[in-house]
Amino acid sequence: MALSPAATMVTDSVTKAGTVKLSAFSTQKPLEKTSAATIKSLESAPLVNLADQLNDAERRKYVKGKKLGSGQYADVFSAHLSTNPSTLYAIKKIKVIEDFKDGITYDSLREIRFLQELRHPNIILLHTVYSTKNQNLNLVLEYLPGGDLLQLIQDTGGTHYGMADIKAWMAMLCRGVYWCHSNFVLHRDIKPNNLLIAASGEIKLADFGLARSFADPAQPMTYNTITKWYRPPELYYQAAHYGGAVDVWSVGCVFAELVGRRVFLGAIPDTDVNMVGAICNAVGTPTEDNWPGVSKLRGYIPVDAADVKPVRGKEHWMQQFRAVGELGVDLMMRMFALDPNARCGMEQALRHPWWTAEPRPSRNEDLPRRGGGVRQMGEDLKRRGGELPVEEEGRADKVARKLDFGAMKV
Amino acid sequence: MPRLTQARAVPAPVEAPLGNKDVCKSQRYLNKSMRFLINPECYHKMCSACVDRIFSFGPARCPVAGCTRTLRKNKFREQTFDDIRVEEEVDIRRRVAAVFNRREEEFETLLAYNDYLNDVEDITYNLINKVDVVATNAKLEAYRTANSQSIDANKSIASREAQDHAAQQVAEKDQARMRREAARREDEEERRALVEGRQDVLNKLAHGGGDAEEIAKESHKVTLKKRLDRRAAAERQRQLQSTEATTNGESNGLSGVLIKGLKTKKDDEPEAPFDPFGGLTIELSYTTVQDHYDWDWLNVQRKDVQYTAGGYDFQEFHSRALCEAFSGLGVFIGEEMAAGDGSSDITTAAAAGAATGSKDTAMYDAL
Repeated sequence: MALSPAATMVTDSVTKAGTVKLSAFSTQKPLEKTSAATIKSLESAPLVNLADQLNDAERRKYVKGKKLGSGQYADVFSAHLSTNPSTLYAIKKIKVIEDFKDGITYDSLREIRFLQELRHPNIILLHTVYSTKNQNLNLVLEYLPGGDLLQLIQDTGGTHYGMADIKAWMAMLCRGVYWCHSNFVLHRDIKPNNLLIAASGEIKLADFGLARSFADPAQPMTYNTITKWYRPPELYYQAAHYGGAVDVWSVGCVFAELVGRRVFLGAIPDTDVNMVGAICNAVGTPTEDNWPGVSKLRGYIPVDAADVKPVRGKEHWMQQFRAVGELGVDLMMRMFALDPNARCGMEQALRHPWWTAEPRPSRNEDLPRRGGGVRQMGEDLKRRGGELPVEEEGRADKVARKLDFGAMKV
Repeated sequence: MPRLTQARAVPAPVEAPLGNKDVCKSQRYLNKSMRFLINPECYHKMCSACVDRIFSFGPARCPVAGCTRTLRKNKFREQTFDDIRVEEEVDIRRRVAAVFNRREEEFETLLAYNDYLNDVEDITYNLINKVDVVATNAKLEAYRTANSQSIDANKSIASREAQDHAAQQVAEKDQARMRREAARREDEEERRALVEGRQDVLNKLAHGGGDAEEIAKESHKVTLKKRLDRRAAAERQRQLQSTEATTNGESNGLSGVLIKGLKTKKDDEPEAPFDPFGGLTIELSYTTVQDHYDWDWLNVQRKDVQYTAGGYDFQEFHSRALCEAFSGLGVFIGEEMAAGDGSSDITTAAAAGAATGSKDTAMYDAL
């Protein structure tokens, strides 16, 4: 495999992904390994064009099984290799949206684009893509039967975890995000239900439906991205030029949610104003002092001097997050810096002394887990980027979790 | 004091062969059933009657004139060696060896192990020859308290080994006995078969059926066949036994049978310190990103508050621009083909695609 000129990877002891063998990290991934022989054998098929033949060959490699989940945007099936029924995959079949004129949606395009380039133990692996009749896109993904992190967080009765487990999960999350950023990809939708759990206990970053590559300086990016509760203040202030710091804020939110076992920055209803209020309450009010230039941002909402809440000090954070110790709180505070320039980068975060301090992160096999995760994988993968998980389809749509959250809010 | 520089202490005074002691002046000459006992406190010898008499009512001073030790009855035992100095030395060696029980596999080099043995021998020598006894004992105790854990671990290993060894010997003895018995049985059977065959031949001759020569040859053939059959059966039996022995041997330790040459299980290696990067380092191999690039177009934006306040990272832009500029370098198709990687051409295509990739993302982002 050719080395990318961008990065030389030195891997010593990288954990192997569950059922998938990763020989090395790579930024590029050969999607279709169709040898000349298979092409020749297909020549007899009635398909006329070579692309169709290749697609057909790829499709025949997998046997679709049970439907794991179904949503407006995609259906998720379990699948296995036609040659080996014990090798499992998940196939995400993206539905064609009738009134969308331009063919496939941006979400699926983004997802394929970035997943096919990113290969890392903590990022969901895209094996291949093929299309079926009606131009439906099928993404063959890694099979992750362990459910998602949100399930573990919400299962306050049944699942118990400690600092070592939080540290292990956070380390995996940070590695995954670090890998995205060092390959110039912004994930822009990091939240616990996009963190799927593999059979080995590792967590994998999934759902690249909102991802994009770092923008050139002159190029504006949308500020209406990232699920609201995990969205950083600069996006509420409608910054069009931002960087990896937006993901770091989301990682911080996941961190805080892991410790507190409830959404850290939440507001009902989750309007922008309410959310900015929640951030001001929990972290502090952004002002020109703690965030130079903030008042010049397009969506900046001026605050009366009387209402300005000072940036919360260490004691305040320690009160809420004592469970991760002083160093853990320090790392969390760095991730929650209001000024994106002052927020720590992913590499800096990984260099923080918290990781190497006691206790040592749990080993994968010791991490707490919960059964019945296959269905959850279906639920998670069918969702569209930026959506909150829905407990019950239909009448109580989107209400269940919010009510739940309201009850938890102190 | 180093043992080597010191002359060996004077030889022990030869004891009277009849075990004459000052305690009760009785001799074995007078009483054949007399037992002499010693106490490892002072190694003074006295008869069992005296021990009962003096120490039955609790600890008491040694009755030997000039000895001030307090002795207890339960410590008295029979002497193993005739020479009381050997007895004492063996006791000391046993005591020292129980504390200094490091094993050879714990040392990195043979030299280190030998040095350790030399140190231990120095201590032993000092204790035996009463050189610096207080200091040496203090050293011994200090070592014991400091290394109690490893001492216990090695003790249990040693006792397990001793058990294994004993069990192995029993098993070997058992097998040897079985083999002997089988051989004996076989011999007997053969002898019986021989006699039977002979009888058979005689009978056939007596009944006068056919040629004598023929009959003899026939019977010889039969005995030979029988013998071969028996031998094959015995061989099978032996093979069966040996496989049984090896399969049983897997459960080493307390279960009884064992395998030779098994290394005693060691604890897992201590884990390497946690690496938050998971063993991954990213190095740019073609470019070095500078802190600042003087470029008018970029300078304007660098000062724009919409960029600085929004958290746009120009450093990230620099490294991405450089990376994209150099994408595709370092991909040597010839080498890949030579390496025989079937997917090489696709890889290269993907690399080229990735290099231009970020351009087309831009189109559909600004929604």
